[in-house]
Amino acid sequence: MIEWFNQIQWEYLYDPELAWNSVPVLLEGLKITMIIAFFSMFFALILGILIGIMSMSKLLFLRMPAKIYISFMRGTPLLVFLFILYYGIPVLGVEFRSPIVAAIVGMSMNFAAYNAEVIRSAIMSVPRGQWEASASLQMGYIQTLRRIIIPQATRIALPPTFNIFMDIIKGTSLASIITVQELLYSSRLVAGRTFDSMTMYITAAIIYWIVCIILGYFQDRLEKRYNRYLSVR
Amino acid sequence: MIKVEALKKQFDDLTVLESIDFSVKKGEVVCLIGPSGSGKTTLLRCLNLLEIPNNGTISISNKTVVFDKKAPTKKEMLALRSFSGMVFQGFHLFPHKTVIENIIEAPLTVKKKKKLELINEGEQLLEKVGMFEHRNKYPDALSGGQQQRAAIARALMMEPEVMLFDEPTSALDPQLVREVLKVIEKLAKEGQTMVIVTHEMNFARRIADRVLFMDNGYIIEEGPANEVLEQPKEKRTKQFLQLLDDTE
Ligand SMILES: Nc1ncnc2c1ncn2[C@@H]1O[C@H](COP(=O)(O)OP(=O)(O)OP(=O)(O)O)[C@@H](O)[C@H]1O
Ligand SMILES: [Mg+2]
Repeated sequence: MIEWFNQIQWEYLYDPELAWNSVPVLLEGLKITMIIAFFSMFFALILGILIGIMSMSKLLFLRMPAKIYISFMRGTPLLVFLFILYYGIPVLGVEFRSPIVAAIVGMSMNFAAYNAEVIRSAIMSVPRGQWEASASLQMGYIQTLRRIIIPQATRIALPPTFNIFMDIIKGTSLASIITVQELLYSSRLVAGRTFDSMTMYITAAIIYWIVCIILGYFQDRLEKRYNRYLSVR
Repeated sequence: MIKVEALKKQFDDLTVLESIDFSVKKGEVVCLIGPSGSGKTTLLRCLNLLEIPNNGTISISNKTVVFDKKAPTKKEMLALRSFSGMVFQGFHLFPHKTVIENIIEAPLTVKKKKKLELINEGEQLLEKVGMFEHRNKYPDALSGGQQQRAAIARALMMEPEVMLFDEPTSALDPQLVREVLKVIEKLAKEGQTMVIVTHEMNFARRIADRVLFMDNGYIIEEGPANEVLEQPKEKRTKQFLQLLDDTE
C-alpha cells in the first residue's frame, strides 16, 4: 500500500504551479460560464413558473401544450437540443449570433421543464384546506395564490430548485461542445497546450465545486428564512 | 337569518343531500347532528359555497341565491358567502403567518382595511378567545385548542352574520375540547347566530336553541335540544342517540 503510494508521480497528477498560472485564463472562462448560468437560471425559473401554472390549469388548451412541452424537454438530452438549436435552426434562416445566446436559450428552455414540474408539485403539496380556508374568508384566486399558497410552496420548492440551479451550472459545460469558450473550454485549451489534462480538469472541477458551494450557501440561508415558522421538535 | 329550501347536492352519481329544508333565526344557535356520512359537512360547505349545490335555494341575511342547472354567477355566490364564516375541523390556519397575521389577512386584503386598525381590532378579538398572549406565535407552536381558537377569531374578523362550525373539537385531544367549547358558548351568549355540527351531545344540550337530526340526505327531525335529544320521535334519531350512549 505504502509502496504503491510512493510510486505515484504526483507531479504528473497535479501540477500546482501550472494550475496557478492558468487561473487568469480559467477565470475568463468562468465569466462566460456564470453569464450563461445566471441567465439560464433566470429564464428557466420564469418560464418554469409559467409552464408549471399552465400545467395545472383546468383548461385543456393551456394544460395540454404545457404537458407536451415538459414531456419533450425532459425526454430529450440537453446536448441534442443544443445541437438542434445551434446547427439545425440556421437552416431555417434564423441564426444565433453567438453560441452563448444559443446556449442560454437552450438551457433556459430545457431546464424550464424541470422547474415547471417542481413548481407544480410544490403547489399541489400545499394542503387543500389552505385554499378552502382562504376561499371561505372571501379571498380570490390570485390573492390566495400570491399570499397563501406561493409562500408555502416556495419552502417546498427550494431544495429541488437549487438542485436544478446546480445542474444548470454544471450543464453549462455542454456549451463548450457548441464552441462556447466557457470554463471547460478554457481548461481544455490550456490542457492541449501544456499536455497536462489532469491538472487542468481537476482545477476546473474544483472551480465548479466552489461555485456550487457558494450557491449552496444561498440555498441554506433561504431555507432558514422559509422554515422559520416551523418550530423545532 | 338563514333559509334553505329543497337543497340538493350530488357528487357524480352519489346524492348526498336529497332535499334539505330548514331555517335559522337571528341569534339562534342550531346544532346539526347525525351519523357519519349523513352529509353534515356537505351541508355546511354548501352554506359557505365551498360546494356548489345542484338544486335549491339558500338565503342568508338579505341575499337569496337559487341553484339550478345554470350555476349562479360568481358575484352572487361571493355575496352570499360574505354572510357566513367557517370554522373547520382541521383549523387550516396559515402556517407561514403568526396568529395576528392570520386573523388580519382577509380583512386586510379583501376589505382593504387599515392595518393598524385591524391589529387593534384583532388584539381585542384575541383577548376574547384567550389568545392574546400567543398573538405573535406561528400556528406550529400552538396546541390544537389554541389553533382552533385562533381560527375562530380569524373567521370572526370578517364580521359574518352567521358562524358555521364543522366538528370544531373532534380533531382535539380530550383535555383541549373544553377551552374551545367555552369560546363558542361565549359567542352564543353574545347572540352570535351559529350552525354547529357536533358529536358532543352534552355541549349541544347546553348550547343549542334547536337541534337538527340529519340522515340519508334529509333533515329527519328537528326541535328544541331537550326534545330531540331526550325524547326523540323518529326511530332513526332514537337509534343514533342509543348508539352514542352505548359508546360513551
Ligand atoms: N368531494 C366529494 N366527492 C365525492 N364524495 C364526497 C365528497 N365529499 C363528501 N362526499 C361523500 O358524501 C357523503 C357525506 O359526506 P359528509 O362529509 O358530508 O358527511 P358527514 O355527515 O360530515 O360525516 P362525518 O360525521 O363523518 O363528518 C359521504 O359518503 C362522502 O363520502
Ligand atoms: Mg363531517
